[in-house]
Amino acid sequence: MTQDINRRTILKAGGALIVSFSILPAWAQEAAQPAPGPKLPGSLNDERFLDSWIRIDAEGKIVVFTGKAELGQGIKTALIQVAAEELEVEPADIALVTADTGRTADEGFTAGSQSMQNSGTAIRNAAAQVRELLLAKAAEKFGTGSGELKAAEKVITAPDGRKAGYGELAAAIDLHIEAKPQSMLKAPGTLRIIGKSLPRVDIPAKVTGGIAYVQDLRLEGMVHARIVRPPSYNATLAQVDASRIEAMPGVIKVVRDGNFLAVVAEREYQAVSAMRALATAAQWIENETLPDETRLPEMLAGLEREVGTVAQEGAPHFDGKVF
Amino acid sequence: MAITLDVNGRTQEVDTDPATPLLYVLRDYLKLNAAKFGCGLGQCGSCTVMVDGQAVFSCVTPVMTLEGRKVTTLEGLGTIDAPAPIQTAFIEVQAAQCGYCIPGMMMSAQALLQKNPQPSEREIRDALRTNLCRCGTHMRILAAIRRAGELMKSAAAEKAGTG
Ligand code: FES
Ligand code: FES
Repeated sequence: MTQDINRRTILKAGGALIVSFSILPAWAQEAAQPAPGPKLPGSLNDERFLDSWIRIDAEGKIVVFTGKAELGQGIKTALIQVAAEELEVEPADIALVTADTGRTADEGFTAGSQSMQNSGTAIRNAAAQVRELLLAKAAEKFGTGSGELKAAEKVITAPDGRKAGYGELAAAIDLHIEAKPQSMLKAPGTLRIIGKSLPRVDIPAKVTGGIAYVQDLRLEGMVHARIVRPPSYNATLAQVDASRIEAMPGVIKVVRDGNFLAVVAEREYQAVSAMRALATAAQWIENETLPDETRLPEMLAGLEREVGTVAQEGAPHFDGKVF
Repeated sequence: MAITLDVNGRTQEVDTDPATPLLYVLRDYLKLNAAKFGCGLGQCGSCTVMVDGQAVFSCVTPVMTLEGRKVTTLEGLGTIDAPAPIQTAFIEVQAAQCGYCIPGMMMSAQALLQKNPQPSEREIRDALRTNLCRCGTHMRILAAIRRAGELMKSAAAEKAGTG
């Protein structure tokens, strides 16, 4: 149905509830340029450099990056498990940075059970490739084959007992290289951390008043705003005398842009109070109103209707084969 | 107007409209994160704190009613390094999904356990009637509260033994 759907045509459609919406702009990933080169696993395909996912400094401090956010689904813990497994380190050795515009890959929304699938796959493959690079560097240093070396506790040990730390090895490796399509992933039988239940790393802060939510951000010079919502769909803002509101304590500005009305104040509750006063001061012209809530049954009964059979009792007609 | 508040055992002065709900004072002035804004209408419990040991909705409690009374938030019970029994219990049982309702749940439970150290299942559920959880963490929350009761009991016994 391409005609302009408004409330009246919806109600007239009788029986059918038509909900129309469009998603604009599309998912962030779709906006990205098609990736050059071979297809890489998970989100590595879009963010192709190893150091976009994993960095190890000269002290051996490991930082892993994901473009996904912890929402209580436990991905912080799960992604740490994946990285620790393939890097042959302990979960406590990993610092994880989640969805940070300036630092992590842009992996779009955190939704649709995609975090482990896309980000987890990227991190797992990147971690395995970084581990291989560390092993290769150690093999070069010791003059051995990398297959003879053992990686554990951020140290690579040669058969003769010589050791090299991840930090010193990482300092000699450039991780700003494109990932390869194939990684030497650990075999399922050798997994130590993946597949185990670990205590969630985000819970302690959440039960002690730590910083855990976007509401907990307090930025330098931050002010608060509240929006005055229109009373009904398509209402237009006829007029508003904001002078009284602008004089309220803490109010910095009343913002009006067409039918958009909001207020900015120094303190959060000042913004709430001013928003309430502003809502009273605003005069709207309502174009589309909802049906009178107290008379919904009559309203529904008065709509155009279509009569048809939804169910019928009696013996069902059946010509199939009986087994 | 300057209002003197006792929050988590510290006396603090805040300069605010006396009608300001406690929740905004806690979060915006005192920079405490635990009490959460959920509905602002006394309907969800995510803003629950204790006032003189009673669980109250901080979103509908004007600060002017609190002078001379003791306000306790989750931060006042323990810290990440020295958690209170109820915090240890919630971590042990992993009783949080998004965790947004949890501080309110914990304060309602703490208020109950302080008055009634061995509540029945019915009493626990009754005390939590004012708190909603959108994630569906209820069974773990109940388990964590039972565990908190045990931990508080053993902590009290230890104190009595050594004291
Ligand atoms: S925010 Fe206070 S009850 Fe919902
Ligand atoms: S844990 Fe998410 S609302 Fe309760």
